[in-house]
Amino acid sequence: MPEGNWRKGIGGRELAELGAPISHCQMTDIVKLFAVAFCIQIILGALPAGAVDFTAAEQRKILRHGPWPPPAPPDPSNRVSGAPAAAAFGRVLFFDTRLSVSGAISCATCHRPETGWTDGLARSRGQRAVDRNALSLFNLRFNRWFGWDGAQDTLWAQNLRPLLDAREMGIGAAGAARLVRADRSLSCGYRRAFGAAPGADDERVFVDLGKALAAFLETLVTGRTPFDDFRDALARNDAAGQARYPAAAKRGLRLFVGRGNCAFCHFGPAFANGEFADAGVAHFAGSGRADPGRFGGIRKLRKSPYTLLGRFNDDPARTTAVKTRHVRLAHSNFGEFRVPGLRNAALTAPYMHAGSLKTLADVVRHYSTLDEERLHAGGERILRRLDLSAREQADLVAFLESLTEAEPRRDGGIDTEVPPCR
Amino acid sequence: MARRRQRGPAFAAALALVLAAAGANACERPQDWTGGSKIAGKTWTVWWQSAPAAIPVGAHFSLRFRLCGPPVRQVKVRGWMPDHRHGMNYRPGVTLAGRSGTAAGLMFHMPGRWQLIFDIAGAAGREKLTAEMVLE
Repeated sequence: MPEGNWRKGIGGRELAELGAPISHCQMTDIVKLFAVAFCIQIILGALPAGAVDFTAAEQRKILRHGPWPPPAPPDPSNRVSGAPAAAAFGRVLFFDTRLSVSGAISCATCHRPETGWTDGLARSRGQRAVDRNALSLFNLRFNRWFGWDGAQDTLWAQNLRPLLDAREMGIGAAGAARLVRADRSLSCGYRRAFGAAPGADDERVFVDLGKALAAFLETLVTGRTPFDDFRDALARNDAAGQARYPAAAKRGLRLFVGRGNCAFCHFGPAFANGEFADAGVAHFAGSGRADPGRFGGIRKLRKSPYTLLGRFNDDPARTTAVKTRHVRLAHSNFGEFRVPGLRNAALTAPYMHAGSLKTLADVVRHYSTLDEERLHAGGERILRRLDLSAREQADLVAFLESLTEAEPRRDGGIDTEVPPCR
Repeated sequence: MARRRQRGPAFAAALALVLAAAGANACERPQDWTGGSKIAGKTWTVWWQSAPAAIPVGAHFSLRFRLCGPPVRQVKVRGWMPDHRHGMNYRPGVTLAGRSGTAAGLMFHMPGRWQLIFDIAGAAGREKLTAEMVLE
């Protein structure tokens, strides 16, 4: 019988409130049967003090957020996905400032390992300021779309975007290809990763750089968290394991899967449904300009040569292209932005697409006091002002913090060592 | 005579519709299928089956379907979350051959109550057949 039903059977009271279990076994008639069974549970240690009263429905919802990590098959559109030599080459490229037009900006300028693979700024700055916050690079391999607006349908295509954007690195396809061909070390890394020296086709070499970078970024999967330990303890009915999870986080978790409606969008093991939403934050990008978000992202996707439907997809069967074929452009996409995953979220402040909220507490407060008039939802009814109490807000923050690794890797490293190219 | 000539075809068409509707009501599971679900309407009945069999949350799935009833000109397939008042982020591609078809590229991107809607059109009119499900 699920734990929640047990507790309903005795009126839903916490075990700690019931006092000495033996006295509660001294009941009469119908209640006695339940009480005896309950005492057996206590004696067996299956329901210790501090266990939270999750209903069977809540438990099912909680279990959907794991197990972690999920299976991570290679990306069939990238022929070097999962290849250690490509990941090692990608790591070199990631930290190389020569891939920017000024020679001063690398990927790591805005995605710093020591700050959760982001830069801590509201709006990032490459060659010049951009309109959006630098997304963290954790768990990218589980994404369906990439970037705040989902303008890219693969991780390798996402890596090409800043190299082309004059505001970010801006080196361009020809400049990047020339660099790799001319530099002995980079040329060696390319050869090891792809099995041949970089060819004369600039665009082909350029796309391959994106694929090597993707092979590296695929390795940045977050580790297990206090929530995962709790979730797995719940799955195996391990009450002692469940009891180690802080009570505030449990209360926050109940809000998350229940009244908070958070899990509609922050669904599954990565705490993201892979899609886009209007979160009720302003989407002005500067004087007189609005950031169109997903609406603009789909339009860019359809014009891009670097998609799963294009010639750079290494999978002749196009097995992962169904999303790109069928994605729908709608007016309601205007002002929608990526639903970010929440793992290690405590490391990646500030939050939202333009970094408008500084802390997790600010994010929770935003949804608690949401101005529904600001939503451009076209009649959608997902977000509602939550009106959470101060304690409920603190509980939700405690839960979100429990999604963070105890000791996150900050070294930008990958486990497979490949001899350096000279 | 003229009136009779006009009534004859009209009567035959009405009879055909009645018979077709009766056929729709008697619609049996396709013999080559295992599993599947049926939605019966006034004019058409549809048998449908998803792949994978259990519709996932946040992952693409496809359908095959078979219709009973009068001839069909067009079938559209869509998803709708009535509680949230939104549909899918993807436009399914539907192929139709006679009364059989497939739909590819569907995704229910949130847990909750979803409606799977077959919007069927033909000479006999238009009808929406809806299956409702709750995904966790």
